[in-house]
Amino acid sequence: MRAFSTMFKTELKLSLRGMDMFIFAICMPVVVMVILGIIYANKPAFDGAEYTFLAQSFGAVATIAICAGGVMGLPLVISDYRNKKILKRFMVTPTSPALILAVQVAIYGLYSIASLILVYATATLFFGYQLSGSWPCFCGTYLLVMLSMFSIGLLVGGVAPNIKTASVLASVLYFPMLIFSGATLPYEVMPAALQKVSDILPLTQGIKLLKSASLGLLTDSVLVPVAVLTVLAVVCISISIRFFKWE
Amino acid sequence: MEITVKVEKLSKSYAHIQAVENLDISICRGEVFGLLGANGAGKSTAIECILGTKKQDSGTVSILGMNPRTDRKKLFEKVGVQFQEANYQDKITVAELCEVTQALYKTSSCYADLLKRFGLADKLKSQVSELSGGQKQRLFIVLALIPDPEVVFLDELTTGLDARARRDVWKCLSDLKAKGLTILLTSHFMDEVEELCDKIMILKNGKSVFCGTVQEVITSGPYEKFEDAYLWYTDKEDKENEGI
Repeated sequence: MRAFSTMFKTELKLSLRGMDMFIFAICMPVVVMVILGIIYANKPAFDGAEYTFLAQSFGAVATIAICAGGVMGLPLVISDYRNKKILKRFMVTPTSPALILAVQVAIYGLYSIASLILVYATATLFFGYQLSGSWPCFCGTYLLVMLSMFSIGLLVGGVAPNIKTASVLASVLYFPMLIFSGATLPYEVMPAALQKVSDILPLTQGIKLLKSASLGLLTDSVLVPVAVLTVLAVVCISISIRFFKWE
Repeated sequence: MEITVKVEKLSKSYAHIQAVENLDISICRGEVFGLLGANGAGKSTAIECILGTKKQDSGTVSILGMNPRTDRKKLFEKVGVQFQEANYQDKITVAELCEVTQALYKTSSCYADLLKRFGLADKLKSQVSELSGGQKQRLFIVLALIPDPEVVFLDELTTGLDARARRDVWKCLSDLKAKGLTILLTSHFMDEVEELCDKIMILKNGKSVFCGTVQEVITSGPYEKFEDAYLWYTDKEDKENEGI
């Protein structure tokens, strides 16, 4: 436990020194929330809707940090530590190299939760947002989305042969998901054709779930996305453990 | 004397190259064992197989009576390792790296004292990447000593150090040896080997061509200086082949 807490503290400091996660996971979601708030103010989501466009977008904006940490931060840090043989050095100490991965997952989890709180604070304080769904339901869904996105990151970081491949894969996953899954550009304003493409992205399914949870509209229709995300997480985690390379 | 490191018939090959062949090593407590040989002779592969970071093709390894692959967690509480290349996180400071390393062990020495002994006390807040080559080298020896180990592996321990720093490292290792620390080291500096090592093994193309004391190397060959005798051993076969 002492090893975990010391390493967590140090790795968090190193991550903050790096600044990129601070920008992509902490600042960017708040900026997107502010922009959406200014553009749509209190407009309803659609004619006759009982909730505002902003309320509909809350769940989506809250995933920006998950996306940044899971498919950009995690894979890069894992392949970087393998490349620099830091994992190898951990192999000749009493700790398991798995500890350093657990620490990284905890750090990106912390970024995501910090971002969720900041986005929520921004929405409530400046744009009068209220979460109409149940908090436990929303938080549970949030954790499921986080788990499935992080599992993609662990898979990419775990099996990419080198840091070049990892960073290409991370970019290929990150940017389309960030833009086309509805996290930044609202899904509802996309043309229908683009929506169809967007539906393939796992994050789109996660965002749909979060939207229903935040609006209190959870129905049986959520079973499919829940199943998709769960299967995704199980498959990715199993493969990344099975084919993990320490060197 | 208690044997702390025991290697029997260790072999390892990569694709078609035999990196290490049939090594037998036995080191007693408080002994300094030098693994010598030209670049690519198989020293690092041998060390990695002994540590268990590489899997040997055949042979057995026992450190402090434990198998490094199956008893890894228990064994490495008491074994310190300095690899040839320094591995550390971007932007990490000396103090942070020492703190994290210390936190991994149940019992450990005070890293501040070790840094002082190795002349790095004023570098606590510096980033590791900003240290000079010699300072980094000393820092990684400190990291290997943090667990207060019974056995320590040092791969090219003084490469990049200036004359003063080399003497300081020797002094420190001799003190620890006197307290019962077993040391396995590799080195390209014959003065260092002569100064520190009780026993040496000379590797050539993965095979042991000599194993014994420094004195024995000299008496067994035609030369009086250790370095000449060492070179005679590493060149011997080639010369004989040329003769044919």
